[in-house]
Amino acid sequence: MREGNTSKAPLLDVRDVSVDFRTVGGTVRAVRGNSFSVGKGETLALVGESGSGKSVTARAIMRMLAENAEVGGGTKVLFRGRDLMELPETEMQRIRGDRITMIFQEPLTSLNPIYRVGDQVAEIILSHRKVSKAGAKREVIRLLKEVRVPEPEARFSQYPHQLSGGQRQRVMIAMALANEPDLLIADEPTTALDVTIQAEILKLLKDLQSRHGMAIILITHDLGVVRMTSDRVCVMRYGEILEDGTTADVFSNPQHPYTKHLLESEPSGVPDPLPEDTSEVIRGTSMRTVFRIKHGSFLNRRSMDLVAVNDISLKVRAGETLGIVGESGSGKSTLGMSLIRLQQPTAGAIEFRGNRIEGLSKRQMRPLRTDLQVVFQDPFSSLNPRMIVRQILGEGLVVNNIGGSGRERERMIRDALVEVQMDPEVMDRFPNEFSGGQRQRIAIARAIILRPRFILLDEPTSALDLSIQAQIIDLLRELRRRHDLSYLFISHDLKVVKALCHNVIVMQHGNVVEQGPTGKVLQNPETEYTRRLVDAALNPDMA
Amino acid sequence: MTAELQPPELSHGGMNAEARAAHSLTYWQLVRRRFARNSYAMSGLAGCILVILTAVFAGFIAPYAPQASDRSLLYTPPQWVKFHEPGEGFQRPFVYGFSESMDPNTFEITFEPDPEMKSVIRFFVQGSEWTFLGMTFETHLFGTDSGARVHLLGTDNLGRDVFSRVIWGTRISLLMGFLVMAAALLIGTVVGVTAGFFGGLYDLVIQRVVEFFKAFPDLPLYLALTALLPRRADPIMVFIMFACILVLLRWADLSREIRGKVISMRSLEYVRAAEAVGASNGRILFRHIVPNTSSHLIVWATFQLPEVILLESFLSFLGVGIQQPMISWGVMLNQILDFQSFSAAPWMMSPVGMIILSVLAFNAFGDGLRDAMDPYSNA
Repeated sequence: MREGNTSKAPLLDVRDVSVDFRTVGGTVRAVRGNSFSVGKGETLALVGESGSGKSVTARAIMRMLAENAEVGGGTKVLFRGRDLMELPETEMQRIRGDRITMIFQEPLTSLNPIYRVGDQVAEIILSHRKVSKAGAKREVIRLLKEVRVPEPEARFSQYPHQLSGGQRQRVMIAMALANEPDLLIADEPTTALDVTIQAEILKLLKDLQSRHGMAIILITHDLGVVRMTSDRVCVMRYGEILEDGTTADVFSNPQHPYTKHLLESEPSGVPDPLPEDTSEVIRGTSMRTVFRIKHGSFLNRRSMDLVAVNDISLKVRAGETLGIVGESGSGKSTLGMSLIRLQQPTAGAIEFRGNRIEGLSKRQMRPLRTDLQVVFQDPFSSLNPRMIVRQILGEGLVVNNIGGSGRERERMIRDALVEVQMDPEVMDRFPNEFSGGQRQRIAIARAIILRPRFILLDEPTSALDLSIQAQIIDLLRELRRRHDLSYLFISHDLKVVKALCHNVIVMQHGNVVEQGPTGKVLQNPETEYTRRLVDAALNPDMA
Repeated sequence: MTAELQPPELSHGGMNAEARAAHSLTYWQLVRRRFARNSYAMSGLAGCILVILTAVFAGFIAPYAPQASDRSLLYTPPQWVKFHEPGEGFQRPFVYGFSESMDPNTFEITFEPDPEMKSVIRFFVQGSEWTFLGMTFETHLFGTDSGARVHLLGTDNLGRDVFSRVIWGTRISLLMGFLVMAAALLIGTVVGVTAGFFGGLYDLVIQRVVEFFKAFPDLPLYLALTALLPRRADPIMVFIMFACILVLLRWADLSREIRGKVISMRSLEYVRAAEAVGASNGRILFRHIVPNTSSHLIVWATFQLPEVILLESFLSFLGVGIQQPMISWGVMLNQILDFQSFSAAPWMMSPVGMIILSVLAFNAFGDGLRDAMDPYSNA
């Protein structure tokens, strides 16, 4: 397919595209004079970390930029020979949704919640083609069938909230395909989805492409996705394309050091060997956490019990990292939070270093808080935006009366920042000045400054770019070794679990599906569910 | 081990283009810059400052004391400041006095500008005493050299200078606005934050109380105030009672809003992280939750102020608000409650101009502030 394209003029030829954003802090040059082209039926991947300008480039092609954006004068976007930058807006509207379509990252917000799913897809057809309403409905059902939405006739009249995340993304794809476009721009189409569903969606896109022969621009930060789907790849950083080539060439023989760095940053390594005779740090026995959900009217009050954690027992020894994996909604986080009493468990016993803690009051728990720490998933909401780094790290010292003088505390804060490989001079800055990875380092520093024995890591890497993920995992592994920490590591990504955990528990719907040493579970999964998780994470080509 | 090999420049502020651009701008610096770009908001701010300065330095700006009356000049129309006199050419600003004449048939008194009674306007003249922060001053912004009285906005039924009264009225109107806003802000915040944070039975009870206050018909309550108070009550007493009733009916909305914000904030990860390091409830409240509601509170306050000013003038106009001899803009409008005096002396409507100016200014300021504080704005 690749050879066939070189002879003809490309479908889309982007020349010297540059975009600046005027902000209060000055002008940000988001995209700086990039050129690339996409042939008919070809898949081009734009790869880079967040903030590298991938999405802005795509939006510039669609002329869907924010108001404060300024497209550079030399920018040319030739689509079948016509420069899209010079078309009037009405002409552009005819191209959008018809010849060039787009799918977005968030399937939760890209469908309008108050319209029925079928009507939303039909609208796209009706606004570009002359068909009857009944004809459009038939067409929508055919499309829903094509993107493999189960029971398309019934789904037609459902509302977006009645569909799962994966199904919504399928509906989005159906909308994008409705008018048989020449070019589909997919902006991180699978990032917000569970791993197992990610693989299915990518496979669907690939199948549809071979059937309809459209070109795809795939925007992603995930090199696994690139390898699986694209013909050619452009690596971006700071708004510039650093490297451009066929996927096979770039992966086997990267030219730019940044590409090499990206390729090397897949989570790797194995956990440190665990000594045989270590003592037990924390143990939960027959833990059960139930949420009571109240619904119904004022007079006809009903309640329903949602069992998030159903009778689970686990123990973590000194120096051990125990992984908990499962899809979203499987109760992993609730289990972790219940174990350190940030969530009140409904039943079960928790023993921390031989002492029962499940019955302790909030006040009685306070002395134990320095030993039991937590790092949250979202580095953007886990740091108080109104506090500087010094206050954020110092809080635990102040409330627990550690380090008498201000100077002593400052020294401890400095040490903690050095430990997480941050410049201690950042102490007087606010969290909004840091990137996601840096914020996560600060959050880790907040936990280790108290010299805990046990840290709950609640998906600490899943909101981060891949290359930063790998750095954080290395950091966690090193800190564990240096301070003899025990971790409970919650994740949906088995790649990360493999690099970090000695033992693993696989959860589904609040129940344990499988547990045991990580190597054994990953190599010989006993259940279908575990096998799907393993395939999605470790052998994407087989999924 | 890639992390150790990573040069610090690459991981430090480098990965994210936005992070680099926003470098070392704190939230408030950002708000200030965004605000300064918005010319409508800036003119609102200028208007607010003007109104507040007027209230503070009322004694200096107003040429006369609010109660000083001239029995010989009842209902005189505004005097226009002139710069040009026929035959004399351009000169210092001056005004003509009025000669009075009575229509023999209708007994209507008319005023005609009389070139004989010319007085030149001077700045920083000595006049009646006024006090500020316990000090007594005699200097006023303007007056005439001859000592003849000048009435830029005419006089009222007792011969008092309308301009001076509008200036003095700014004080009470604004004071009422600030008092009511501040008290409602305090009560609403305390009730809302505690209800949202502690939840449970306490929240349940508080919410029913809030609903009770929100269900109160406010106008009858204001009207009942006059019936409630003794006939010859002290005006200060009336002022305070009036403010209390306004506060009573205004805190409820804010407490609801703040409660909602606190409930959503309570489950945010930074609050749970504070809990995880062992912080007490008090610390979580005062260090984490209250500071993060501040932008909401500030915007609420700037929108509340003009509302209270409007309500105060409306009620005082009806005669149920502030009582004489205290003067607010509403009290002044109360003097032209009947149509006759309105048509005879339309200049007594001038407090309306000040009301519009101040309400517009505070609204523009609040609007700009809300836009500037919007965390999702990137302009």
